[in-house]
Amino acid sequence: MEEEELQKAVYAYLRKKGFRQTELALQEEQNRLSSSAQSDLAVSRLDNDPARYHDAYSKLRSWAYSSLDLYKHELLRVLYPVYIHCFMDLVAEGHMQEARTFFHTFREDHELTHLRDLQKLEGILSPSHLEEMELARSLRQNKVKIKLCEYSYDLLLQYLQKTQSFTMLGIINEHINFEVSAGQPSSISDDADVVALVGSSQDIAKHINQKEVRWGLLEDSVEERLERALSDSEKAEGENKEVDPEDSKKRSVEGAKQGVSVKKLKKDKLVGATGKNIRSETSTVSMAPRVKPELTLPVMTTEVEQSILEDLRNRVQLSSLALPSISFYTFINTHNSLNCSSISHDGSLVAGGFSDSSLKVWDMAKIGRPTKTSNLQGESESVQNEHLLGPEERKRSYTLFQGHAGPVYSATFSPFGDFLLSSSSDSTIRLWSTKLNSNLVCYKGHNYPVWDVQFSPVGHYFASCSHDRTARIWSMDRIQPLRIMAGHLSDVDCVQWHANCNYIATGSSDKTVRLWDVQSGECVRVFIGHRSMVLSLAMSLDGRYMASGDEDGTIMMWDLSSGRCVSPLMGHSSCIWTLAFSCEGTLLASGSADCTVKLWDVTASMKVPRMEENKASSTNRLRLLKALPTKSTPVYTLRFSRRNLLFAAGALSKQV
Amino acid sequence: MSIVPKETIEVIAQSIGIANLSTDVALALAPDVEYRLREIMQEAIKCMRHSKRTVLTADDVDSALSLRNVEPLYGFASGDPLRFKRAVGHKDLFYIDDKDVDLKDVINAPLPKAPLDSGVVAHWLAIEGVQPAIPENAPVEAIVAPSENKRSEHGKEDGLPVDIKLPVKHVLSRELQLYFDKITELIVSRSDSILFKEALESLATDSGLHPLVPYFSYFIADEVTRSLNDLPLLFALMRVVRSLLRNPHIHIEPYLHQLMPSMITCIVAKRLGHRIADNHWELRDFAANLVASVCRRFGHVYHNLQYRLTRTLLNAFLDPSKAMTQHYGAIQGLAALGPSVVRVLILPQLETYMQLLEPEMQLEKQKNEMKRKEAWHVYGALLCAAGKCLYERVKLFPSLLHPPTRQFWRSNGRVATKMPNKRKASSSHLLQQPALKKLASDGTAGSIPPISMTTSMQAAADGFPTPSESGIRPSSSTGQLSNESISGGSRKEKSGGKAPTPSTVLAQAWKEDLDAGHLMASLFELFGEGIFSFIQPVEMSFFL
Repeated sequence: MEEEELQKAVYAYLRKKGFRQTELALQEEQNRLSSSAQSDLAVSRLDNDPARYHDAYSKLRSWAYSSLDLYKHELLRVLYPVYIHCFMDLVAEGHMQEARTFFHTFREDHELTHLRDLQKLEGILSPSHLEEMELARSLRQNKVKIKLCEYSYDLLLQYLQKTQSFTMLGIINEHINFEVSAGQPSSISDDADVVALVGSSQDIAKHINQKEVRWGLLEDSVEERLERALSDSEKAEGENKEVDPEDSKKRSVEGAKQGVSVKKLKKDKLVGATGKNIRSETSTVSMAPRVKPELTLPVMTTEVEQSILEDLRNRVQLSSLALPSISFYTFINTHNSLNCSSISHDGSLVAGGFSDSSLKVWDMAKIGRPTKTSNLQGESESVQNEHLLGPEERKRSYTLFQGHAGPVYSATFSPFGDFLLSSSSDSTIRLWSTKLNSNLVCYKGHNYPVWDVQFSPVGHYFASCSHDRTARIWSMDRIQPLRIMAGHLSDVDCVQWHANCNYIATGSSDKTVRLWDVQSGECVRVFIGHRSMVLSLAMSLDGRYMASGDEDGTIMMWDLSSGRCVSPLMGHSSCIWTLAFSCEGTLLASGSADCTVKLWDVTASMKVPRMEENKASSTNRLRLLKALPTKSTPVYTLRFSRRNLLFAAGALSKQV
Repeated sequence: MSIVPKETIEVIAQSIGIANLSTDVALALAPDVEYRLREIMQEAIKCMRHSKRTVLTADDVDSALSLRNVEPLYGFASGDPLRFKRAVGHKDLFYIDDKDVDLKDVINAPLPKAPLDSGVVAHWLAIEGVQPAIPENAPVEAIVAPSENKRSEHGKEDGLPVDIKLPVKHVLSRELQLYFDKITELIVSRSDSILFKEALESLATDSGLHPLVPYFSYFIADEVTRSLNDLPLLFALMRVVRSLLRNPHIHIEPYLHQLMPSMITCIVAKRLGHRIADNHWELRDFAANLVASVCRRFGHVYHNLQYRLTRTLLNAFLDPSKAMTQHYGAIQGLAALGPSVVRVLILPQLETYMQLLEPEMQLEKQKNEMKRKEAWHVYGALLCAAGKCLYERVKLFPSLLHPPTRQFWRSNGRVATKMPNKRKASSSHLLQQPALKKLASDGTAGSIPPISMTTSMQAAADGFPTPSESGIRPSSSTGQLSNESISGGSRKEKSGGKAPTPSTVLAQAWKEDLDAGHLMASLFELFGEGIFSFIQPVEMSFFL
């Protein structure tokens, strides 16, 4: 009975796909078989035996492994879905013991790529668990898509018919969608596309990724204004010569404006190179399309704008040849309780969120070597240097912010350092003023611990994400969220704003990264490719690329407009806690639990795919420029200042 | 089926007052318990990740429980990792060792120190991409290898192979540390005690000392450079080196580079010890022998070891501006390396060197008694080295004449074995009858060792410290005499054995002999009448 249905399904399937030959062959064989009805009986009797899964799968497996090398990797892809569905079928039928032994016999094959899923599935011990567990349910409900070349597909069908392994055929029909392509089998390196066996159907993801993303920069940004100012200054050359005498000691490569002023001298090569740099840099900025802001943006005060302009003028040009200076803030005596840290844009303020629900802010201008940050950064905060440390201040070098009722999981400074946001496991977000040293607002809305909170690049707005699988957009003046982004299948672990404030990206435990439109609250991109929980995100300042880092130490670089992975890169051996793009987008810095800061060359990896789009993706990798080990200090936070000085922070941990 | 056995469920049921839980229920509950456990652990791992840690703590489990609206487990919070103990008799059953604490002790105990408050310190991790070498930064070579074994895999994929040297962690046990402290204390302060002798013995025989070798070699190198004028200490240090070299359980090769300079210093240093009376000659001899033994042992491994050593010594020897003490050391060092070295390196220079040395030794020309004495020491060393070389040459002949001597020997075998003098076989056949008789008549037979070179040399050197010039000559000549007389003896025997040898062997022997003859002649010329007395019999015997 069941078998007949199955056969019908097979025929229908073959007809649909247009495999007439195969169909005929199948029919022929079927006729031959029906003549010897006994064997049929034997098959049907076998069908109720739980061992048939084991037998059939092991046969399929050995067949796949002994198949032709050229098609082997494609055929092997089929094994994993078959394997987990065999297991789940066994569980669903209530053969717990057999399911267990089946699972453990073949587990090793898939551990390398699917370890985390296997760990989860291992826990399924009764049919009810299948219903309960998200992963299992979504796997049962959705079809996996597997790309095969025509010949591999034929091979597979032939095998299934010849061996009459209807169990396998059933599973394959039920849970796998083959995407048969003519021609040569795809290269092994494309495996990455297949790895993520996400619950959501990939069709939907594909559909989502068709939407348009306007990744350009904001119109009328400060950078643009600076450019305009520059061109103005070039017109009126004469006046500018005395503009920055205090910068004369700095390197000629440093500032855009300075570069211009020195360029006038036109003396040595270095200067010529700088000038070129600037021109190319400005041209890339102007290359990025302009978009209109969808949010009403806060108005910048002229003082702030002045300071930003000042910073932009003094920006150091970074490239693979000119690496940044890194100032490292080490948290000491944290007793393993530091959960997160944040550094203000100019590096003068450092915040730490602790598991004892406290939030501490250090003013680096006041403690330690007070000249250090202010001298190098030379930013507006230098006023505080003057009053020396009083004895009572010495007792406690930081400002203590108390208010949360659970471990603080994230903290973020507003772009100008006036405000600080913190999120905690008590499911609230709190806004603190660094000027008044007090709590201003408590935002309640999430139902579970808030894992991450991030200020938008222009301030005022912020995004949060939580264990409740949502990400939310807030503005500082409302206690309710403005938008709720729902769609992730598991915890949303990290959130990041796009440079033009129109999008946010979220990374989740479901191993995907999503891009959301802030205005509409819709998901506009799904990035599939990570093999474990996504822990950190960074957006390039020109808004075109995004980097995401995961638990295994893999970093992936995504092109927002195409939704494709530009280059996955391995290098870290443990969780990537933080990522940061340099201001002109030439370098990517990553900080990891393996106690290193690594610098990656972004430009090198970008150019290749542009030139030869076909080969693209995984063949090229970001070039590792430098690995800087710390002294047993996992790196929690990285931040490029507007002048391209890299700040890093981490807690010194005792090595066991 | 489930990793939670049904017995566990039953036990838990009993603990909460359900006495008669049916087996079916327990069996049904067990898988669910496992599922819940896994679920909680999954949440706990999430909490751990968000606390930016890679080690799971009890707090994480508590957070996970509260996420699930379950009462957290109290009493397990601790900063340290829990210490599990293995249950006896079970392979994978562990428990937390929960000690009973006496309340009184807790109350009486002083308050613990308040933990240090957290703080932030800043430093430069990199300046324009280059890591400054400051204490806050990890030393470049000591990159901590990540514990995850994925590293190798990633390394391969990276495409940019980075060669990371792992730091070697040297763990010294408490006992070894104590031992080291004790030994160094003995070396520095009580090197003349019996205890020190025992310590040396222990260093030479104990098997577990290898971890200490780097520390000892560093200590020795350090002490030698620091206390060049403390002769007893230097001597003690050299003895320690000898013991270490002797110890069969120690693999000393990798540390030789550290020890050799110290030893060479003890041979050719300008001044050793701060008093005139200090017998630094002895130390030089001792160190020279030590170095020679190192060369013999490790020369085949480090083929340039002897070359470098001889070069150093030869430089010291040939530099006229160096002090006499240094020359002495160099000569002794070279002599210790064997007669062939002496023949190749010293003998060619001997003539010129003697011209330099002669005025230094003469009373009228060198008024400074100290200097003169030193010169005589050098003279003695040279004499000894040359003499040994000569002896070695002569010793070669019997091997040429071996077959006939054997025959010759057969006939007198009885007599030979019946000789009362119990010599070792190494004293070689050639020495036997005639020489023995001669020496016995001289009454010095007992003092002639079966040619352990060092001792005879020692004897020669020992003869020197007597201040009077007249004293030196006889004593040195006795030492030398023994050597020469032996060679003389050999010659005699050879001449005796000449008759039966075939003419070819004879011809060869003659050639060699002629060489030796030239050598002797030139030596005689150089050392002049001072050694004429003991060369005479040799000559005579030769011409007999």
